[in-house]
Amino acid sequence: MSGEVFFQQFLNALGLGIMYALIAVGFTLFFGVIEVVNFAHGEVFMMGAFVALIVSGILVAAGFTMGSLPLFVAVLVAVLIAGGIIGVLLEKFIVRPMRGAPDIMTLLITLGISIVMREAVMLLVPNGRNPQPFPNLMDLDSIQIGGVLIKPEAILSIVLSAILIGGLAYIIEKTTFGRYIRATAQDREAAMMMGINVKKVFIVTLALGSALGAVAGLMNGLSYGIIKFDMGFAASIKGFAAAVVGGLGNVYGAIAGGLLLGFLEILVVSVIPDGSSYQDIVSFIIVIMCLVFRPAGIFGERAYEKV
Amino acid sequence: MKKKFLFVLAMLTTVVMLVTGCGAKKSDTIKIGFIGPLTGGNAATGIGLKNSAELAIREANASGKYKHKFELVVVDDGGNPSTAVSAANKLIANKDIVAVFGHFNSGAALATVPIFHKNSMPILVTAAIHPDITKGKYKEVTRIMTAANVQNEFAGKMAVKDWGIKTIALINDKTDYGKTNADQFADAAKQNGATIISEDGISVGQQDFSALLTKIKAENPEAIYFGGVATEAALLKRQMADLNMNCLFISDSGIISDTFNKIAGSSAAGMIAFNIGKPLEDLPGGKAFEKSYAEAKFAEPHEAYGHFAYDSANVVMAAIEKAGEKGAITRSSVATAIRATKDFPCIIGKTTFDERGENTLKLITPYISEGGKWVPYYKATTQVVNKKVVKK
Repeated sequence: MSGEVFFQQFLNALGLGIMYALIAVGFTLFFGVIEVVNFAHGEVFMMGAFVALIVSGILVAAGFTMGSLPLFVAVLVAVLIAGGIIGVLLEKFIVRPMRGAPDIMTLLITLGISIVMREAVMLLVPNGRNPQPFPNLMDLDSIQIGGVLIKPEAILSIVLSAILIGGLAYIIEKTTFGRYIRATAQDREAAMMMGINVKKVFIVTLALGSALGAVAGLMNGLSYGIIKFDMGFAASIKGFAAAVVGGLGNVYGAIAGGLLLGFLEILVVSVIPDGSSYQDIVSFIIVIMCLVFRPAGIFGERAYEKV
Repeated sequence: MKKKFLFVLAMLTTVVMLVTGCGAKKSDTIKIGFIGPLTGGNAATGIGLKNSAELAIREANASGKYKHKFELVVVDDGGNPSTAVSAANKLIANKDIVAVFGHFNSGAALATVPIFHKNSMPILVTAAIHPDITKGKYKEVTRIMTAANVQNEFAGKMAVKDWGIKTIALINDKTDYGKTNADQFADAAKQNGATIISEDGISVGQQDFSALLTKIKAENPEAIYFGGVATEAALLKRQMADLNMNCLFISDSGIISDTFNKIAGSSAAGMIAFNIGKPLEDLPGGKAFEKSYAEAKFAEPHEAYGHFAYDSANVVMAAIEKAGEKGAITRSSVATAIRATKDFPCIIGKTTFDERGENTLKLITPYISEGGKWVPYYKATTQVVNKKVVKK
């Protein structure tokens, strides 16, 4: 493999990995803090992409220019807010009523609501069964360095994801509310006794995680140029796999897990002949190996450092 | 009570006499069966086939060019094998029917063909394209449309002989459809002297092909062939543009849809795909057919394959007439006569059947994506020169 090809594949892997990481962070937050496996998270990802499609359509009709920075920022903010709202609604109507019920019930109800969300988008979006072309929200030129062609969307995704994940880490590590989140994750009862409003922590956690998931959907649309009602399922499986690999409940583990998955998939495709046939299998082999050999994730069990 | 019984008996006798009388009167009318998808997902196509067939029969009866009058018996195959089998049995049970034509779905045709054969009922397959339909080489089974494998053989030959492609990277979507197309294309290309430098599978629904394409780019093929359907083809084409890859990109009929052009957007231009058939207006009898179909004022359009049913009906009627000239009109004699069809003038051109039962007239059209539309290659403003797509 020549240097140019190597660098190109490195960029491909980074773009893919960071998207997985962004989805995985949501899974891991929900599990760490609220102790639910939220299978509707993939559909939040899908909804984020569709919100971006619809909002950009409205904004263009309202006079924004397609491909301009103000339009992109407006769509991004709209997707963040929409993702947050979906998260709050999920907390209020799905997670809260199921508190105290066996884990399997919560898991099944999130799976159920994911089907409702997916089918709703299919039925309500015009021609929703078919893939929808995604508008080119940011008009940037490709950058060519030697033989390496850098897609501006890829750089945008990578930078944006890094900022969002960094922002999340800042909230969790440095702010008072972040301390509440960490306290709730470590010991819910003790946190309640200390006067922390656990209910509020749950709402904010779901809103944060869902907002990131929705942005991942937006970036998916930007990178590939199409979105489809059933794109959430594959995304949720990959994101969940990344979260498991990183150790469910560990935010930094989720980031590492997402990147690891991205790099391994690209490695298999680029090195093994006909490797692309096995691209999707890689993640699951890694998950199975993790569950067998390192059930607490690649970083091992350090429960007190949850979240 | 007794009176009533007698009355009923009298009525029944009258009915029976009427019916048989009717039958006797119509003895010079010959019945032909039509089987096609009149309900289900392909109903629009099926109704287009049925209408076109009726048009052919109406025209023949009105013209008086045949000694006999013909009548169409229509049954619905639902587009699926199970409905098709019971529909086929219904036609076979009707002793007045001497020949059948129709089918659009290969699944339905594959299921009924052995049954027609067992009951020595001639079946002229109208628009189902699976190669295996004529695999049994039964004397009863003939096909007017070009089989699916011919598309890929034609494509492989054209890529190598006409465009000078020597190295090809194959991609398929791991479905039966995509893999078969890719394999047949590869075989044809190899026979004509090209080398396959790599073969990769992708999954339906997969979005990211950047790694695969980066790998293929390093192999530097002169063309990429993809066996699969529109969405993945469009994503591949987009991501090829992202990587600045401008080698030829060729695919099968599964990608010829608006979906491809919509998703691939500005990078769609230059995509090449091969399809069975030819645009109706470019066929020898196309314009005349459109005119007479419009005059017949059917409620539904003839759809993409109507003219094949029109041709099928005419081939069958002519064969029945020929069989009648030689002797008795039986299912067996009609089957022989259909198979013996030679240079019969059809909308699609002069039709002759080979010993397998396939039409020797092959209709394959290469298409190229241009300005967001699929344009037949011979009409396009872009073409392949020096292994690249350029403006004429």
